[in-house]
Amino acid sequence: MITLKNIEKVYQTKTIETVALHNVNLHIPKGEFVSVMGPSGCGKSTLLNIIGLLDEPTNGIVEIDGSPISRYKDKELAHIRNQKIGFVFQSYHLINDLSVLDNVELPLLYRSGTSAAETRHLALTALEKVGLSARTKHYPTQLSGGQRQRVAIARALIGQPELILADEPTGNLDSVMGEEIMNILLNLNRQDGTTIVMVTHDENMAQKTGRLIRFFDGQQVSDAKTAAHEFQKV
Amino acid sequence: MIRHLFKLIWNRKRSNFLLITEIFFCFLVLFAVLSLIVYNVRNYNKPLGFEHENVWLLTMRPDTDSTALNRQTQEQIIQRAKGFQEIESMALTNSNAPFAFSQMNNDVSYGGKEVRANEYLVQDNFDQVMRMQVSHGRWFGQQDNASHHYPIVINKALQQQLFEGEDPLGKLLPRNDSSSYQVVGVVEHYRPSSEYTAEEPGFFNRIYLPRNESEFYGELLIRVKPGMGVEFEERMVKELSGIGKGWTMEVATLEKMRQNKEKMAKVPMIALAIICGFLILNVALGLFGVLWYNISRRNSEIGLRRAVGAASGQVYRQFIGEVLVLATFGLVLGVAFAIQFPLLQVFEVESTVYFIALGIAVGLIYLLAIGCAFYPSRQAAAIHPAIALHEE
Repeated sequence: MITLKNIEKVYQTKTIETVALHNVNLHIPKGEFVSVMGPSGCGKSTLLNIIGLLDEPTNGIVEIDGSPISRYKDKELAHIRNQKIGFVFQSYHLINDLSVLDNVELPLLYRSGTSAAETRHLALTALEKVGLSARTKHYPTQLSGGQRQRVAIARALIGQPELILADEPTGNLDSVMGEEIMNILLNLNRQDGTTIVMVTHDENMAQKTGRLIRFFDGQQVSDAKTAAHEFQKV
Repeated sequence: MIRHLFKLIWNRKRSNFLLITEIFFCFLVLFAVLSLIVYNVRNYNKPLGFEHENVWLLTMRPDTDSTALNRQTQEQIIQRAKGFQEIESMALTNSNAPFAFSQMNNDVSYGGKEVRANEYLVQDNFDQVMRMQVSHGRWFGQQDNASHHYPIVINKALQQQLFEGEDPLGKLLPRNDSSSYQVVGVVEHYRPSSEYTAEEPGFFNRIYLPRNESEFYGELLIRVKPGMGVEFEERMVKELSGIGKGWTMEVATLEKMRQNKEKMAKVPMIALAIICGFLILNVALGLFGVLWYNISRRNSEIGLRRAVGAASGQVYRQFIGEVLVLATFGLVLGVAFAIQFPLLQVFEVESTVYFIALGIAVGLIYLLAIGCAFYPSRQAAAIHPAIALHEE
């Protein structure tokens, strides 16, 4: 589904040149649940931004379903993000002035051809999937951290994306809530076949995914199947 | 998307309250100033009903209180004036000559209806001096000498208010004494106050000296041949002063008087426009600052929108759209207030004036809002999503 070839990302200021990613080669097939681990500043989020088409690599090629995205314009990249990718962030990124339902509907605002009734139906279905159908009219500030993250997952799900990119989705949650969120993601992967790439600092969470890639100083230092991989296959 | 924007602005109504209030007051000030400007411009484009070029106003102030003596001297003055080749025609008038700072009005009634109208006392050849066109009937003249009634020529505004659809010719309007006015003619327009004043109901009453024995009319309107200037004016005044010894004689061209009236109308208009301009500039800077601040506070939201599929152009349009929605909230309040002016006929100004001013004010507020939002929105659209998402 996604292939990264010789990816390099360098942040350049007038005085300093920071290498965030160096020579990253990665292939993530459809239906895989991949976790990415590494110390802070090792380039995990940068990697996620590049996979999510939010950032461009300094060098290298990003391919989605076999076609390189380097020749795509901003509008086309936005279209791919809208159609194929769902994002879940550590800090949820919900709009506090919109209700839970309106927050979930957000991606479909940028998708033409979906009627208001259809959008509402899809949003309710997504909220049901994450167990929040009773909170549709609440506002994010009225919810707990775990509930907010579930709203964020519902928002990522509404467009039925092939790929979900989760940047430390359990990072701000306690272990019980973190577990809940992880179960939702696992179910999505197992039941719907959604490809998930998750950045995490939690080894236990990472072990529940099928593949674990470790980063250090912008370089991919290991890439291995986890014990859960076999279970996933079963 | 429009529903989404309305919902977003409505849910943020508390934080947007000041902006909406600012837009509301800005609209009201604009509406007021534009109403004044539209009123003046519309009047300016209407015909005055007379030609003031080459017409002078000779004001004669006698040095005695004896009307009989003064009229005798005045008769000699007029006879001498008629002898000047440079003069085409002349007519006595009372002090409310065109563009003069004087007014006289009277109540006239017909069929139970009473209208307050301007009264202009003028001699028979006033229509020639001022080159006025009678659209219906005739101007008064010698044929009215034997009439028991006072012949009057009315303007269209008075005709419409007093007679509505009825033909006014020959109609008698009672005077304060036992006599009556009789309508002998109608003129389309007559706006002697200024080019910026609306047409008011008015009528011309005849100065017939044998009948008005106790009156002295000190204003003489003189139409001179084209090209007459100061040289002739000085010669004329000198010669006429020789007849009216001790009299004060002043000549003013109607053009000069028109310019004075124009200044009087323009000065408040310009002053208000300048004040309004400063106010709008302040509002614009305020709007710009608040929008800039609001947008910079919403970086993470911008990042999120980009992540879920908004292209930079859509972010740009969204922020412009938000400002337009904000302006709409302010304008809805403003229009609800302003619409009362035409509905209640405030200041007796034509409704069209208010509607035009309202339309322009709405357009200008939207332009102002777009202008103020343009740069901050562009900045918002240019924000890098990956960076914006990491700002919390």
